[in-house]
Amino acid sequence: MQASIKWLKDYVDFKESPEVLAEMLTMAGVPVEGINYLGKDLEKIVTGKILEIERHPNADRLSICKVDVATEVLTIVTGANNIEVGQVVPVALVGAVLPSGLKIAQSKLRGVLSSGMLCSATELNLDLKMLSAEEKEGIFILDHATAIGVDIKQALGLDDVVLEFELTANRADCFSVLGLAREVSVLTGNLLKKPMLSLKEEGDEKVAGLVQIKINEPSLCPRFTGRVLKNVKVGPSPAWLKHRIQAAGMRSINNVVDVTNFVMLELGQPMHAYDYNLLARHTIIVRKAQPGERITTLDGAKRELSPEMLVIADEVQAVGVAGVMGGLATEVTANTQNVLLEAAAFNNVSIRRTAKALGLRSEASGRFERGVDTANVTRALDRAAKLLEEMGACRVCPGIIDVYPGFELPRQVSFNPQSINKHLGTDVPTPVMVDILRRLEFEVEIDGDNVMTTVPTWRGDVQYPADIAEEVARIYGFNHIPSTTPSGNMMSGGQSSVQSLIYEMKNILSGAGLDEIISFSFTHPDTLDKLNIPQDDCLRLAVPILNPITDDFPILRTTLLGGILETVARNVARKNDDIRIYEIGSVYLPEKLPLEALPNEPIMLCGAMVGKRNEIAWNQGRDHIDFYDAKGVIELLLGRLGIADFKVAVANHYALHPGKSASFSLNEEILGYVGELHPLVANVFDLNRKVYIFELNVEVLARYAVLIGKYTALPKYPAISRDLALVLPEAVTASQVDEAIRMNAGELLSEVRLFDVYTGEQVPQGFKSLAFSLTFQSSDRTLTDSEIDGHYKNTVVYIEETFGAKLRS
Amino acid sequence: MEKQLNELKQQAIGELALAASADKLNDLRVKYLGKKGSLTAVLRGLGSLTAEERPRIGQVVNEIRNELEQLIESKNSQLKQAELSARLASEKIDITLPGRKNRLGHKHPLTTTLDRIKATFMNLGFEIADGPEVEQDYYNFEALNLPKDHPARDMQDSFYITEEFLLRTHTSPVQVRTMQKSEPNQPIRIIAPGKVYRRDYDATHSPMFQQVEGLVIDRGISFSDLKGTLELFIHEMFGNNVGVRFRPSFFPFTEPSAEVDISCVICSGSGCRVCKGTGWLEILGSGMVHPRVLEMSNFDPQQVSGFAFGMGVERIAMLIYGIDDLRLFYDNDLRFLRQF
Repeated sequence: MQASIKWLKDYVDFKESPEVLAEMLTMAGVPVEGINYLGKDLEKIVTGKILEIERHPNADRLSICKVDVATEVLTIVTGANNIEVGQVVPVALVGAVLPSGLKIAQSKLRGVLSSGMLCSATELNLDLKMLSAEEKEGIFILDHATAIGVDIKQALGLDDVVLEFELTANRADCFSVLGLAREVSVLTGNLLKKPMLSLKEEGDEKVAGLVQIKINEPSLCPRFTGRVLKNVKVGPSPAWLKHRIQAAGMRSINNVVDVTNFVMLELGQPMHAYDYNLLARHTIIVRKAQPGERITTLDGAKRELSPEMLVIADEVQAVGVAGVMGGLATEVTANTQNVLLEAAAFNNVSIRRTAKALGLRSEASGRFERGVDTANVTRALDRAAKLLEEMGACRVCPGIIDVYPGFELPRQVSFNPQSINKHLGTDVPTPVMVDILRRLEFEVEIDGDNVMTTVPTWRGDVQYPADIAEEVARIYGFNHIPSTTPSGNMMSGGQSSVQSLIYEMKNILSGAGLDEIISFSFTHPDTLDKLNIPQDDCLRLAVPILNPITDDFPILRTTLLGGILETVARNVARKNDDIRIYEIGSVYLPEKLPLEALPNEPIMLCGAMVGKRNEIAWNQGRDHIDFYDAKGVIELLLGRLGIADFKVAVANHYALHPGKSASFSLNEEILGYVGELHPLVANVFDLNRKVYIFELNVEVLARYAVLIGKYTALPKYPAISRDLALVLPEAVTASQVDEAIRMNAGELLSEVRLFDVYTGEQVPQGFKSLAFSLTFQSSDRTLTDSEIDGHYKNTVVYIEETFGAKLRS
Repeated sequence: MEKQLNELKQQAIGELALAASADKLNDLRVKYLGKKGSLTAVLRGLGSLTAEERPRIGQVVNEIRNELEQLIESKNSQLKQAELSARLASEKIDITLPGRKNRLGHKHPLTTTLDRIKATFMNLGFEIADGPEVEQDYYNFEALNLPKDHPARDMQDSFYITEEFLLRTHTSPVQVRTMQKSEPNQPIRIIAPGKVYRRDYDATHSPMFQQVEGLVIDRGISFSDLKGTLELFIHEMFGNNVGVRFRPSFFPFTEPSAEVDISCVICSGSGCRVCKGTGWLEILGSGMVHPRVLEMSNFDPQQVSGFAFGMGVERIAMLIYGIDDLRLFYDNDLRFLRQF
């Protein structure tokens, strides 16, 4: 919505600058988003009349004009070819600076002295959207009746300031200049002057005999009213009318259409003018569209209607899409002699659906969607008829035809001023509340402790005492309301254990050198293919989005791995080669499709590690990350979360290298996986390098995590340690040996650490050497070697026999 | 005898002065003061002296002995000092070489921002609630006083899955879920952070973004409580000098509703590109919970009242860190992420 300061001043006096007014309105819930000074760069440009045009003696394309600018007659050389003697045109005087920055100086053009310049619409920086095709071309020709020597801003109505409003959906009443003026009057305390509606009706053809109106769908059309205008002279609008509607951002079409638009802008009531003679049997039927029915709307588009759309029809065909746009067939044209003016109210939901279905949002449909003042639609008829009659553009037939099946009494809301003060935390005296409401044109009656209000019919948004509280608060001023904090019982804040766990996990992973990413929850089925997820895997069952943002994102993710690998690929493409990232977020796993219940949204952790282990530095190695770096992160994480005794096993995972993948589990429940990305998967993600990934289920971790553990007493007695270096067949795994040591080394064994893995010289082919450090400790005595020796020997024997191992000498 | 002693002393002093190492010094100690040393030899010769001379010469010898010992001691510490200095000088390194660092990871700036928001509200006694991202129309709209075809549904163009299910367009459904889980009319004080989804994608809009919802319900909660609580939060996040203003607005689920602006953190209110010259930045939507919303979740608006608020985490992070393109948050370029 746009409204100009001059137009507002037609209804209310105020002295505030546009900026101050904008601030007042914004702080009262009528937000002004922009202030536009029209014609702000137009100085020293005046209207002038062309007295003579001569061809330039030295240049075929130039002419020499004598132009009367009231104070003098100027000689101006111009290249224009759309000018004629007698026209009034914009003249930039010597010393003017055009909006483009061009300075006008006296200058000789091919030997002829030129004292000024005739201007085009572009040179005046006019809004080309508002102009007709011929107005955009060549010199801008003004109405021939325009006074000469007048500042062009005044002549074009550009000596005005336009406020651009970003109104909220509830304030339908402010989609009109009068509604905005009412807010200004309440905020400034100045009187609101409503437009006069009394008009001159002529002739004895009563409207009732001229038109028939039938409403077949009273629930969708609570009121339809009309007036008939005869002897209509369709022509250009007077300057004042053009200026008003242009300042509101609409184009001038002709006097009849402009008046209907003017009244819509002024009162907020959309109108339509039909060529009366073209309405079959002068009948209006408000009905639903027939199946397959078509209409060509005023914008020239052929539109197919569906049976839930409401149309305005005559006896033969639809002549308009109700509340959205009129039809071309009954358009008012230069040939029109008689006009039926429509002012009606339509169901907002119906209009909204129709406008959306047709992809046709108009000034009218926008207002109907928000709701018009049904009780006052006839004001618009009177106002429009009066304006046209006063312009001498028609004769107004007596009477209004008014079909009003949806009549409702004005709404009443009763409130208790004390409750409102309690609700707001204020101490506004009752008379102040009453005064605010009366200025907003609520009828107010005090009834003991309560106040009964009759809500103005244009304030459909006011239904509850809470709405009254808002009216009081916004005019009283939100910033006059004190600031307090809630009283009542103290409450303990906090978060759930899963939330705490996630917080802790992020801390640990940061400490482990991983960077956190957040990627979109959307993905594409191709990504599931690229990840090599089997067709029958439950991760293939992804929630589809009916209206995705782009074709790339038609489903919700079922795994974080896709986003992680895409992020790795994107970073590699940008030469960020050393990557350690993770994401913690939900995946979306439906029970079945189409969705009948909310999908499960388990929270997962997924990460990837690529590139060098250390940052490039003079004193750090340049080794590449390997499987054990990724595994180490998970071991560190689980350890710090107090999750012990998990089992690590060779895993079979669709996206992982079969020889370099491990699962972590506890109590037969899988915690997650770690491994090297399968080279084929890496390949389809354009990753020609080794990528190590891990994936864990946070909700399973949450079941086992112990964030606050119990303390273990420090050892009082010294420990004994023994090294155990073994030569083993290569197929024996470290964890098999580790387990064997723990089984055989007795209860005094407190720690086992693998400290060396070696193959090569001194170790036969097909064998490897593993060296463990065993620590023995007692909580109640200092151990002696003899207590350990037996266990140690048993362990060695067991391992030798079980694995075909040899103690390494 | 005395003369002989003095000559011996002068000779010793002379040699000590020339000693350049601890070894040499030790040799001299043995030579003069050792069991077979020169001075010891003199003492041994005391027996041939008279009883009157003996104590006097004995005293002279002791004096010389003490003097030489002190001299040796001081010379010794001088030499040690010199040796230490030489060693330290030889151990000098280039301290301008960079140190050896453990690599620390970086939390996403939205996580860091959200952690601060959560901490602030937890300190004020708020619990952190959450809810599903795929949501029922009922919780996302209907129960928030947004019936089908409500024009305000336009403001948040939704991603639909079926007629019934959609990606939540705001965290407000958590309000409804929290109320419906609670006993009617019991006090509530929660914030609900989480991802939300709207069909919009440019430098200031992302189809997925994060919000924090807040809800306080109790007996006697007023609009002034809303103001006080949010001012406290804003000052905690942006500092005590930032200006705050409450501006009437419209949300279907609150009445009265207020947008909350802070004075522009970029230009301090004088007007710049970020605040579009207004000096103010919108950072929060808020309001008193609409009586219909309370009723629909079985709370009695006659007995209890409440306020609710919602904010975009990206918006706040952008202001705090001076980030000018929202898309950076979800692009996950490590050069960006490692700045936080």
